[in-house]
Amino acid sequence: MKPIDKRAGLLTRRQTIQGIGGVGLGLSVSGLAAPAVHAQSKRPIRFLNGETGKDTLAFFAMAAKLYEEKTGTEVIIDSVPLGEAFTKLTNGIRSGTPYDIGTTGFIGQVLLLAEEGHIVPVNEITDQYEWGNNILFPIDEKVYWYPFDYNLALIYYRKDLYEKAGLSVPTTWDQFATNCEATVEGRQKGCLFPIGSNGATNWMSFGFMWAEGVELFDNQWNVILDSPELAPKAAAYLDFMARLYPTMPTGSLQASYGDVLSNVVAGTVAHGAYAGRVIESAERDNPEIAAQLDVMPYMDSTGSRTAANHGYDGWMVMNTDNSSAAMEFMNWMTSELIVDFLHTAPVHFQPTRLDIYDNDRWRDNALIKKHSGMIETMRGLITDESVVVTSIDTQGPNPDVRPGKVFESFALPEMLQNKILRGMDSDEAVSAAAEKIRQAVG
Amino acid sequence: MTRWLLPGFLTVGAIATLVLIVGPALYAVSLSFYDIPSLTSDPVWVGLNKYAVVLSSGEFWNAMWNGIVYAGLTIILQVVLGIGFALILNQKFVGRSLLRGLTFLPYLLPTVIAVLTFKWMVDGSFGIITILMHEWGLPAVNWFETEAASMFSVILISVWLWTPFVTTTFLAGLQTVPVQLYEAARVDGAGPIRQFFHITLPMLRPILTVIVLLRGVWMFNKLDVIWLTTGGGPLGATEHLPVLSYRKAFALFDIGSGAAIATLSFLVLMIAVTLYFRAFPMEEVK
Repeated sequence: MKPIDKRAGLLTRRQTIQGIGGVGLGLSVSGLAAPAVHAQSKRPIRFLNGETGKDTLAFFAMAAKLYEEKTGTEVIIDSVPLGEAFTKLTNGIRSGTPYDIGTTGFIGQVLLLAEEGHIVPVNEITDQYEWGNNILFPIDEKVYWYPFDYNLALIYYRKDLYEKAGLSVPTTWDQFATNCEATVEGRQKGCLFPIGSNGATNWMSFGFMWAEGVELFDNQWNVILDSPELAPKAAAYLDFMARLYPTMPTGSLQASYGDVLSNVVAGTVAHGAYAGRVIESAERDNPEIAAQLDVMPYMDSTGSRTAANHGYDGWMVMNTDNSSAAMEFMNWMTSELIVDFLHTAPVHFQPTRLDIYDNDRWRDNALIKKHSGMIETMRGLITDESVVVTSIDTQGPNPDVRPGKVFESFALPEMLQNKILRGMDSDEAVSAAAEKIRQAVG
Repeated sequence: MTRWLLPGFLTVGAIATLVLIVGPALYAVSLSFYDIPSLTSDPVWVGLNKYAVVLSSGEFWNAMWNGIVYAGLTIILQVVLGIGFALILNQKFVGRSLLRGLTFLPYLLPTVIAVLTFKWMVDGSFGIITILMHEWGLPAVNWFETEAASMFSVILISVWLWTPFVTTTFLAGLQTVPVQLYEAARVDGAGPIRQFFHITLPMLRPILTVIVLLRGVWMFNKLDVIWLTTGGGPLGATEHLPVLSYRKAFALFDIGSGAAIATLSFLVLMIAVTLYFRAFPMEEVK
């Protein structure tokens, strides 16, 4: 190369042209400027993750690295809080750069994307396993997601307070309310079930109503909440919640997921609904409380039936030109690494696949071992057909987007508020909620 | 070179306005003529149907009323308190500069921090205010537990956050009022109250007119405080048009209705601003 002509500046015109030419040639050779060559190479798999716990993020980084080492295919993991995942997914679709795998915590979103052809069935993965009750939500026998946890909302209670007050585990509403009243002492309250218009209320506060046998729709999608058979049950549920309300801390109207979690973990309430995150948080922040926590399902008024409220999360394979590669990755991850994934939140990520409960490697985890009794209770809830496992957004004769609209309309939380906040007659509150549901589903 | 400077800047400004403001606004208005049940579905033309549905719904009028109450009360309180604080801070006393700085502090806080701090302070289990009241044997306050309390709380937070802006603006205005006017008034026997109503307030009228206009528009469109505290609840008691629009579009995925509500909100503001300019012409204000 000629020496730089200092008199004419840093580079001569000839050197500049030669340099640009050289860079251009380099780019061409590297493939950046050769789309045809580039397209033939493996396209990265774009994975939108919605679980943002520290350990879960580390898991995905590890999984992506392992997969690239094994297959040469890069996996790009983008992580956002679950609540923002759907917007990001749909923005990707609209902008022409869809993700290849997405995460969702809402079956209504799965159905919506399936209806519009944005996701593909994952039967080739799900058909390999046996699953717990009411979790796959197939449409015409096609399964459109891989649910990785149940996230059942259950009632966590303090064994030490029960012992101190001479209480036994309740099986009826009356017993439960009595226990809540008996455990109020100073700043410590009896229970916390949110009643505001938010997702926390939808998830945590209606288990009692499901246990009582209340349903929102019949087989033809007619709203039956205010039917002669179910209206008295729903009204009785409201009366029961109104009895619980004075035993709750101030602020339960706006209580969020975090508020309930922190109250249970801090020991400021004797009962609170949540999923296994309670145990993980308590073990980390308040081990004394963790040792005193146990779990029970929601019960009905007579002690004849129990229920748990869905909170599930799952992965979907998007309908892109990379679907087959994404499916391969999903198949590999869910067969080879699912235990590692579940261990990132061992109690919270309650397995949906029944084989995992007997998997020695999954069982060989400190928290799972320590809380094995609780784990067995949770397992029983998803295998016992007599336990009602449902949620607002999975109501109805078959999977459909309509219950999702009911979920987002907050018709049921408003029913609670009408009763508790406005002192409305229970029957009237049920009728108003039924009417709002009818409007929401159109 | 310089003769191209002005047209150049104007062109850049015009393009930026078109691309960043006019374009998205027109797009948003256009969405209100379609039924779009999800973020990925194909829009279906429905003309003015969304407007008819929105205008016939009780929640729209409830949100409109809530917006008027929220914006109205926050403006009144901000202006009254802002003028009061400005009058105090305009006096000479030790530590005045420090106090002026401290007064402006809430305005510097990001809304999300102010709101979350407030929520933590009044938390029903762990809040410092709750604990102190319990220690003192006082009953718990239901900050967000009733419809009236929720509206009161969001107004309280909003007033705390944005009164400093009004205070600072009025303080700047107070310093432009000629001292001779007060001296002459004192000679004529006017007391502080008469001085305020006959000198201070008339002299501050141009600022007052602009402040009420600006704060009115800002508060009517304010989403963050209400969204972060009550989400519009309980039972829609604090749901105003921006919250309703957001909820329709991004929670219920009824993009058309969300856009129709936003467009109607814009029209309401346009009408209000026009009437305001008629009532308080800027030329007269000068």
